[in-house]
Amino acid sequence: MADFSWDVRSPLDRALVAGPYGVQGDAGVALTEIRNFDLIQVMARRGKAGETAKAAQARFGAAAPETPKTVATADATLIWSGPDQFLVLSKGGKHTMAALAPVFAGSASLSDQSHARALISISGDKARAMLAKLSSVDLHPDVFGVGAAAATSMDHTSVTLWRGDDRNGQAVFNLLVFATFAESLWHTILDSAAEYGATIGHSEDL
Amino acid sequence: MVAGAQTHRLANGGVIDRSTSLSFRFDGKTLLGFQGDTLASALVANGVKLVGRSFKYHRPRGVLTAGSEEPNALVELRSGARREPNTKATTAELYEGLEAASQNRWPSLNFDVMSVNQLFAPIFVAGFYYKTFMWPAKFWEAIYEPAIRRAAGLGRAAGVSDPDHYDKAWAHCDVVIAGSGPAGLAAALAAGRSGARVILCEEDFVLGGRLLADGGAIDGLPAAEWVARAVAELTALPDVRIMTRTTLFGVYDGGTYGAIERVNDHVPVPPEHQVRQRLWRIVAKRCVVAAGAIERPIVFAGNDTPGVMMASAMRCYINRYAAAPARRIALFTNNEDGWRTAETAIAAGLQVAAVIDARPDVSPAHRSLASKGGFPVLHGSVSAVDGGKTGVRKISVALTGGARAEVEADGLAVSGGWNPAVGLTSYHRGRPKWRDDIAAFVPDGAPPGMVAAGAANGAFGLGACLREGFEAGAAAARDAGRGGNIGSMPVADDEAFSLTPLWHVAGKGKAFVDQQHDVTASDVELAQREGFQSVEHLKRYTTLGMATDQGKTSNVAGLAIMAAVSGKSIPETGTTIYRPPYVPVAIGAFAGHHRDENFHATRLTPSHHWAAEQGAVFVDTGLWKRAQWYPHAGEKDWLESVTREVKAVRSGVGFCDVSTLGKIDVHGPDAGAFLDRVYINAFSSLAVGKARYGLMLREDGIVYDDGTTSRLAEDHYFLTTTTAKAGLVMQHLEFCRQVLFPELDVQLTSVSDQWAQFSIAGPSARKLLQQIVDESEDLSNEGFPFMGAREVKLRGGLKARLFRISFSGEMAFEISVPARYGEAMARNLMIAGKPFGVTPYGTEALGVMRIEKGHVAGPELNGTTTAGDLGLGKMMSTKKHFIGRVMAGREALTAPNRQVVVGIKPTDKARRLRSGAHIIPKGETPGPDNDQGYVTSVCFSPVLDQWIGLGLVERGRERIGEIVRAHDPLRSEDYDVELCNSVFYDPDGGRQRG
Repeated sequence: MADFSWDVRSPLDRALVAGPYGVQGDAGVALTEIRNFDLIQVMARRGKAGETAKAAQARFGAAAPETPKTVATADATLIWSGPDQFLVLSKGGKHTMAALAPVFAGSASLSDQSHARALISISGDKARAMLAKLSSVDLHPDVFGVGAAAATSMDHTSVTLWRGDDRNGQAVFNLLVFATFAESLWHTILDSAAEYGATIGHSEDL
Repeated sequence: MVAGAQTHRLANGGVIDRSTSLSFRFDGKTLLGFQGDTLASALVANGVKLVGRSFKYHRPRGVLTAGSEEPNALVELRSGARREPNTKATTAELYEGLEAASQNRWPSLNFDVMSVNQLFAPIFVAGFYYKTFMWPAKFWEAIYEPAIRRAAGLGRAAGVSDPDHYDKAWAHCDVVIAGSGPAGLAAALAAGRSGARVILCEEDFVLGGRLLADGGAIDGLPAAEWVARAVAELTALPDVRIMTRTTLFGVYDGGTYGAIERVNDHVPVPPEHQVRQRLWRIVAKRCVVAAGAIERPIVFAGNDTPGVMMASAMRCYINRYAAAPARRIALFTNNEDGWRTAETAIAAGLQVAAVIDARPDVSPAHRSLASKGGFPVLHGSVSAVDGGKTGVRKISVALTGGARAEVEADGLAVSGGWNPAVGLTSYHRGRPKWRDDIAAFVPDGAPPGMVAAGAANGAFGLGACLREGFEAGAAAARDAGRGGNIGSMPVADDEAFSLTPLWHVAGKGKAFVDQQHDVTASDVELAQREGFQSVEHLKRYTTLGMATDQGKTSNVAGLAIMAAVSGKSIPETGTTIYRPPYVPVAIGAFAGHHRDENFHATRLTPSHHWAAEQGAVFVDTGLWKRAQWYPHAGEKDWLESVTREVKAVRSGVGFCDVSTLGKIDVHGPDAGAFLDRVYINAFSSLAVGKARYGLMLREDGIVYDDGTTSRLAEDHYFLTTTTAKAGLVMQHLEFCRQVLFPELDVQLTSVSDQWAQFSIAGPSARKLLQQIVDESEDLSNEGFPFMGAREVKLRGGLKARLFRISFSGEMAFEISVPARYGEAMARNLMIAGKPFGVTPYGTEALGVMRIEKGHVAGPELNGTTTAGDLGLGKMMSTKKHFIGRVMAGREALTAPNRQVVVGIKPTDKARRLRSGAHIIPKGETPGPDNDQGYVTSVCFSPVLDQWIGLGLVERGRERIGEIVRAHDPLRSEDYDVELCNSVFYDPDGGRQRG
């Protein structure tokens, strides 16, 4: 019997080259692809928004977002994705389809999006300047604070953008893009970042 | 070549860095300038008067202005692929090694053969082309136009791809300010101090606007010092962004402004990884237009002679650049402000030959200036200029009272008053209003949220500019919700401004209104006489104001002359409509990143990189790159590769990445009921574990899309769409869910990107799959029959979805794994299929097999066909309502003579059938009356060993066996074809069920 290996490959596996990119020197932008996450779309069934919210509260110990925001819980990030729906982003198999199905049974429909997106984390002094080339969203700290989220588009491609917790005093922007568009958007991101210098990597950690 | 001396550089002064000398080339001659120069100021400093030839008459022209309103000093900047035509020397920043060439001359600027056009000038009047080259009509494109284009015109495009990069960016603020003169800086100070987010756009590379040229005292400080302090204060504010080299060029809906930033136009080549220019979309709550005013010429004979220059431009060259446009200057003015040029010239140690003032009187102060400076004040107007390509020599003056005088000078400064820059404020169809006191149009009807301040609003005094700017900035910030302390307003004195309107001085010789397009005062008069009396007609007939400068110096003078000849007032004559962009913007900037391979976003299938490794040829289908075929060494063309792939599938097994199909999760208790409404056939009755082909109609009864949909659980369907319609069907279904059927409990999610899906087809498909799925899975015909759909376990534990559906007509499966396993799946299919000769196949082979099977696809689902046309009419349920049902019953959509899908094959088996050929009955003349349809899809069928196709043919299915003509006028072909059953291969479907 033939020997099959089932290696996973992120949509950016080929395009992402770890290391410096663009202008030499201190990198203005850090681009990190987060690989192998679980992402579950939760959509309340008709008239079941309240039940869904309760189920979410019980499961995550925090209320799911009802406006364009994210909620960071102990082991997941809940990202608003539309009226009465949100995404559950997690690592380590804690909140998979199988795990969440009983939680939302009868109150919400679940759809697995774990492989449907690539996740890119963007930080650095020039992160906002670079993102201004891609996004029409105002990312000024007074407007787009920690936890703010937007379902928007970049380079004619649908994305989910949110601001995570600051790291080393710097803003961190997270970007979910459809997997089949990821390589194309990645090249656009690199083009946008090149003049500031970028440091590129990938990580298994959220 | 030895660099020329800067013969006209003044010993002192100027906002230039004399320690940084820059060498540059103009028409091959090496010259020197300083850091801080523009190309124009460096040419002025080098005593260069002749900079170009005019558009139509090839007349010698010099520098007229010192800004982006320049009509004459247009050059080709840079060389090779970076050659940029029609660049204004007056805004091109000088850099070391700059190369520029004058335009529209041959063989050289000094000796231009085409200047012979001047001799024929009497025939080159307005509308000349329309009148002269009317017949024979066919000569226009072949002879007249190319000849005219060679003779007339501006610079030459590079003709090759632009090597530089451009990008686009968004910015957001409370207040955006156009212009950094006194009004703009005062507005920025007030808004910035109040805590507002401010963007200050300055077209120039230095801040200060007219203060750079005219100086003055603000808050008791010299203007330069005040500017430095203001800029320092603004720079220290965290939310104020100062953007130099940036022109605000347009106003769009919802407070969005377009701006172009010339990031690296001031260096020879942009540094690596940097862009040349950046297009900004600025979203602002308020906008203050402090774009200043443009000094306007007076139209008189010879007013285009090199050395004739706007008075304010002359001050700018002297004060800002320490470059003397002339040594002995005459001034022609109709207003007080023009006199400042005489003051400037004297202060710089230049000679003033005379001041010609059209007003009845001048102030005592100016009289005493004249007597101190030892020059005469002549009351009257300039009636002619004697000079040529070497510049002004002598000026004829018609004195008030009828006498004549002559003035010898090598430069003539002209001031006809000032026109507020009303572009931005008029871009939403606001019509500027006339003010008699300044004889100028001022902004009116500005777009929401926009105000003009300072000279742009007709306030010409320095004190008034500061006051209006400060107040506008404060009000804008307040309106944007910012209430911080705005501090004190900067103050300055107001200069006197008195003006006697004068537009045109009658005289012999050409008097130019629009110098860039060579439109003269007599052209305007002629247009009026010939009936082109509306200003919009005047503009089109004479081309007045249509060039790269958009008539910034010429429009109002043209209107005034028009008004005079028609006996109307200027406001009655009105202005033409203003449209963005305010300055030319390179198409490259609008394209930004979206060029070449980045022209649009691309989508890659999960097995893309594996397919590339296999040497696949890719085809663009929408945004996707799809493997079209996989050539083998030695195959002579695509057809050979595709034929091999088809044969391999039909005799063994092959696989194809079909992940591009749209995939939608349909969830909820009412999912079945929902699908019953969007498909023509029933889905609520579909058993769990089964797939069914479904067809959707548009509301008008025409077919929208098709695909298979499977029921994976009681409340979960998995719907697929065609590749082309994936996004549209998702939108359509969301519309149905949210708007048409909100009472249904159903949820939709696109899972197109979640799953890597492969079609595995051929008699050995099952054997191949049995290698991959866990041995506990029963794939037998009984255990997993045709149209089965279920989750299966693969060897190694991974779970997949398996569907027994066939597009090829062979026994076939589609298998889905989560997308990150897609590439592994392709590799594993190759391993598992090795014993069976597995062959990856592309979209061409897929297409061949679907045509052989008579399956309809895009060419048949073309937005005009009904389910009946496609042979699928029986699928339309009569037991339920569905979208499109009622309209599909319309008479025309059910008419018996509709064109329906039928098979087509040439009677000559060796002949190639072509898509698009029209079907004409035998014995009839080809033409619309006898046209019975056309060939929609064709392929070479390896099974039948001949070309076959599908077509839409009138009553096609009733005419099986009939021989008709395939008439193809595009390819000049006409041949006989037989109408046949559209299922060419395995018509009873035994193979796919087997």
